[in-house]
Amino acid sequence: MEYTYQYSWIIPFIPLPVPMLIGAGLLLFPTATKNLRRMWAFPSVLLLSIVMIFSAHFSIQEINNNSVYQYVWSWTINNDFYLEFGCLVDPLTSIMSILITTVGMMVLIYSDNYMSHDQGYLRFFAYMSFSNTSMLGLVTSSNLIQIYIFWELVGMCSYLLIGFWFTRPSAANACQKAFVTNRVGDFGLLLGILGFYWITGSFEFRDLFEIFNNLVYNNEVNFLFVTLCAFLLFAGAVAKSAQFPLHVWLPDAMEGPTPISALIHAATMVAAGIFLVARLLPLFIVIPYIINLIALTGIITLLLGATLALAQKDIKKSLAYSTMSQLGYMMLALGMGSYRVALFHLITHAYSKALLFLGSGSIIHSMETIVGYSPDKSQNMVLMGGLRKHVPITKTAFLLGTLSLCGIPPLACFWSKDEILNDSWLYSPIFAIIACSTAGLTAFYMFRIYLLTFEGHLNVYFQNYSGKKNSSFYSMSLWGKEGKKIIKTSFRLLDFLTTKKNEKTYFLNTYRIDSNENVRSMVHPFISIARFGTKNTFSYPHESDNTMLFPMLVLVLFTLFVGAVGIPLFNQEGMDLDILSKFLSSSINLLHKNRNHFVDWYEFITNATFSVSIAYFGILISSFLYKPVYSSLQNLNLFNSFVRSVPNKIKILGGKIINVIYNWSYNRGYIDFFYVISFTKGIRRLAELTHFFDRRVIDGITNGVGIASFFVGEVIKYVGGGRISSYLLVYVSYVLIFLFFF
Amino acid sequence: MNYFPWLTLVVVLPIFAGSLIFFLPHRGNKVIRWYTICICLIELLLTTYAFGYRFQLDDPLMQLTEDYKWINFFDFYWRLGIDGISIGPILLTGFITTLATLATRPVTRDSRLFHFLMLAMYSGQIGPFSSRDLLLFFIMWELELIPVYLLLSMWGGKKRLYSATKFILYTAGSSVFLLIGVLGIGLYGSNEPTLNFETSANQSYPVALEIIFYIGFLIAFAVKSPIIPLHTWLPDTHGEAHYSTCMLLAGILLKMGAYGLVRINMELLPHAHSIFSPWLMIVGTIQIIYAASTSPGQRNLKKRIAYSSVSHMGFIIIGIGSISDTGLNGAILQIISHGFIGAALFFLAGTSYDRIRLVYLDEMGGMAIAIPKIFTTFSILSMASLALPGMSGFVAELIIFFGILTSQKYLLMTKILITFVMAIGMILTPIYSLSMLRQMFYGYKLFNAPNSYFFDSGPRELFVSISILLPVIGIGVYPDFVSSLSVDKVEAIISNYFYR
Repeated sequence: MEYTYQYSWIIPFIPLPVPMLIGAGLLLFPTATKNLRRMWAFPSVLLLSIVMIFSAHFSIQEINNNSVYQYVWSWTINNDFYLEFGCLVDPLTSIMSILITTVGMMVLIYSDNYMSHDQGYLRFFAYMSFSNTSMLGLVTSSNLIQIYIFWELVGMCSYLLIGFWFTRPSAANACQKAFVTNRVGDFGLLLGILGFYWITGSFEFRDLFEIFNNLVYNNEVNFLFVTLCAFLLFAGAVAKSAQFPLHVWLPDAMEGPTPISALIHAATMVAAGIFLVARLLPLFIVIPYIINLIALTGIITLLLGATLALAQKDIKKSLAYSTMSQLGYMMLALGMGSYRVALFHLITHAYSKALLFLGSGSIIHSMETIVGYSPDKSQNMVLMGGLRKHVPITKTAFLLGTLSLCGIPPLACFWSKDEILNDSWLYSPIFAIIACSTAGLTAFYMFRIYLLTFEGHLNVYFQNYSGKKNSSFYSMSLWGKEGKKIIKTSFRLLDFLTTKKNEKTYFLNTYRIDSNENVRSMVHPFISIARFGTKNTFSYPHESDNTMLFPMLVLVLFTLFVGAVGIPLFNQEGMDLDILSKFLSSSINLLHKNRNHFVDWYEFITNATFSVSIAYFGILISSFLYKPVYSSLQNLNLFNSFVRSVPNKIKILGGKIINVIYNWSYNRGYIDFFYVISFTKGIRRLAELTHFFDRRVIDGITNGVGIASFFVGEVIKYVGGGRISSYLLVYVSYVLIFLFFF
Repeated sequence: MNYFPWLTLVVVLPIFAGSLIFFLPHRGNKVIRWYTICICLIELLLTTYAFGYRFQLDDPLMQLTEDYKWINFFDFYWRLGIDGISIGPILLTGFITTLATLATRPVTRDSRLFHFLMLAMYSGQIGPFSSRDLLLFFIMWELELIPVYLLLSMWGGKKRLYSATKFILYTAGSSVFLLIGVLGIGLYGSNEPTLNFETSANQSYPVALEIIFYIGFLIAFAVKSPIIPLHTWLPDTHGEAHYSTCMLLAGILLKMGAYGLVRINMELLPHAHSIFSPWLMIVGTIQIIYAASTSPGQRNLKKRIAYSSVSHMGFIIIGIGSISDTGLNGAILQIISHGFIGAALFFLAGTSYDRIRLVYLDEMGGMAIAIPKIFTTFSILSMASLALPGMSGFVAELIIFFGILTSQKYLLMTKILITFVMAIGMILTPIYSLSMLRQMFYGYKLFNAPNSYFFDSGPRELFVSISILLPVIGIGVYPDFVSSLSVDKVEAIISNYFYR
């Protein structure tokens, strides 16, 4: 089947026609293109499914005969400098491309419905397909320059998609923040690439590893320089995968539409950093400092992400911090040298997190009609609650995703997380303790999200938030005038219902902002509406359409069964190679080198019970804290007795600690503040300073010369005015002075 | 047919045809516009035809040469000729000037003079790129100043007289140094003045004299290019000029400085260049950082773009300073690439100014809904300007990076330092260009303009922006389009440095 490989370079270019056509169409024939609308969704899904078939084919081939294929052709020819483009198909590539295409397809199908009322529907699909293209290009690239190119393109897609709703100022800030933060990483990546090019003279992965290992073996390299270059390369991965110092962009990236958060900011793009480190692991593993640094970054990130996720109000932001924490797990696994486990967790996490994000999108979609089209409201978990009754299918899917992420067997993430925890015990006990306690924290915050969202009663109607935020209702839609039809009447009804406790005059003030005719007509009979509202007209969220539910259900299947690729299964020969390790057998696996492949079932079960019990502990605490009062009394009693038994001092102390944690988490660990104070303001001050310098000093000299020459000219003009008498005066006076002295 | 004076035709046609504008009947602006555009197109076609059929790419020598004696007693010849380095800028000139003429259509005041000046600029820009004689180079260099001065002082913003005066004083002042250099080289040595490039290139001078010549030329080109601290005319000029003038200024005039550095300083004065190149590198890196950090402090949209082009010119200086094959190739690629990107950004800034009539960035906002097409093209070109891969700017900057890396002249530490500082510029670039985008387009409608409804860009504006966009992406995807033109010549120049 050699000939299919010859066409493997086409993989990234298959989805490309869609964004090109949509882009050209929108620029040149906007109305005609917009009329086609739905017609564009179909080809993008189709093309992506073709890619999926392609990559599935490759992966089957690789399982059978472990081949690595590479195809290269030249890009620029110069005498002493040439660049090549290539296509490398190895297990890592095919895993990533299958992941990208499956999640991508589901998200595309989902967003067809999710975005169907949006004005930017076509733009969305163009961006989305382009990001798939560049992501596929990233995973199939065979040298570092190509990686850099697609790395930046992916970053640009992320920028465009975060800023998709560009009328929101918060989205505008978020996308710039994301791009600049990623650019800091790219800065490192580029310098690292250049450094390694200088050391080895090659960009090609395999040549690079070979030459580099030879050099290290012969001790021919400056160790400090190599460490610096490797560190810079790693900086790229840190920024893209939202690791500790550069993670600030990821929570803000949730300003984008939810399908984007599912695809790019949970499943694929943020995994690119993990992919890069996995790809370059042969390089990093030679340098012990760097590999330890990777593990350290991973452990800091996973703890930080988990603590920051504890008290977020926004459902997507807490999911984002959870993503960050899980990426920290992967980074930790890579830092420990267990390549396989990191990839395993990457796969399982991608499916679970995509499911969770799609679920949250479905929730947001159903909440939006009730609370309004503002992310402060529709994504606010404070306003949710009790959705279990209204969106049962979403609830089931979300619950499964939550359980999977918590690490409850037999769901996907259990298998991978368990292995990471096991490996961390082998690596270092301190790291293992942190990782295990974070597993508990994961369970805690995930269940917090679940409970706040689905249990209890819909909190919107208990909130008298009309007092706080009356005027900020988005009475106009996102896209200005034309989008007004999106606003549904239920939304207006609700306004009346929630604000009816206030004074009557207040109504009129509120609706002055809205110049719509409908509202004015509705302002008039508001008393009757208030009475109307006491009857049964609370509008409740609805379950989403089937187009949105279908991808979620498919992802539920994945979440249930994708763990199987990594589960050791006994074959007839007694070999227990699971599919994934068979797949990656050509790759390195440092930690398990000396371990035989037989999994000790006893050890496995003890470890598993330990991690599962931690997870259950987290779930239990969270259900103590967040289980609504009225929904189950038994728990409450238990909790009350538990609380009563605790002495008062400890209770106060506990309250203080909880307060500190909540403040820490709510303020995002104060890291954003620090960055704003130090970097943003620093750059502003620098800009003002250089501007001042430029204006006053450099330009000042020029202008000064100009003004000086003007005055000189004036003086000369005056002097050379042609008045004979003044000439005579000067002449006579000088003669007199002369005479006076001599 | 082989001796047909193609280059003379190319140089003389626009200004000659332009002077005929004054004899056209008074039938409104439409006739003049169409006439000018037709002349531009004919000129562009002529250039491409001549270069396509009469030019051999693999020959590093001067081609299409013409040699007519002009002034007898002075030994002054009308020598024209092109080679690998000049062909790119000439084609760029043709392309950008044609598009700038298309962009001038809204100009109605004195459009007769305006269009004549545009055509005169056309000649004045192709002249220096194609001249093969030092004095002719100088004359052409001066010829192009006058139309720019008039264009600046008659059409533009409120402070246009100030900036036009500043421009003419700066450039005319620098021309003095150019003239000194030209005469110095010409009168050195033999009794007869030697103004020919080829003969001067093979001549060697005493080191001190060469350094003096070098400094003279460097000052002249540093003002034009611009190199800090001689750059302050540029933001003022660009801030005030009409956007078609800006396109010419940013797209071509700045490149003349860089071209002069390559053509005269590198080719004629190699010893001095290898002495000065470390300083050029340092100045270039400082310039990248300095201009990129000044840019966010600008409130004026056009000034912000102007500082961005100052920052990008730093890359060219570094490429020229790193005496390496790759670096010089990168510099030439950057000349072409920034010619496109800078011109397009000024064009788009001008078209959006036509709509909102606001200059300061902090007063703008939320334009994306009203003018989506301009928004799209503006974002794509800002991305190109911050060196997004797939666009020409990225390739040029990458090749310059490699040029520093592979250059044999410098020590490892200096290379690392310079690369590092240049790469910091890479972080600063998105800060100013994306915040420019954000302030202009993102957000809800903030500005209280008299009429809040704008027309989106029409077919003409769309055509201009797309036709600049296509080469930008084309070079980005396949850089050999442009670099194949100059590779051989660059090799010939660089080999001078190692075989002398």
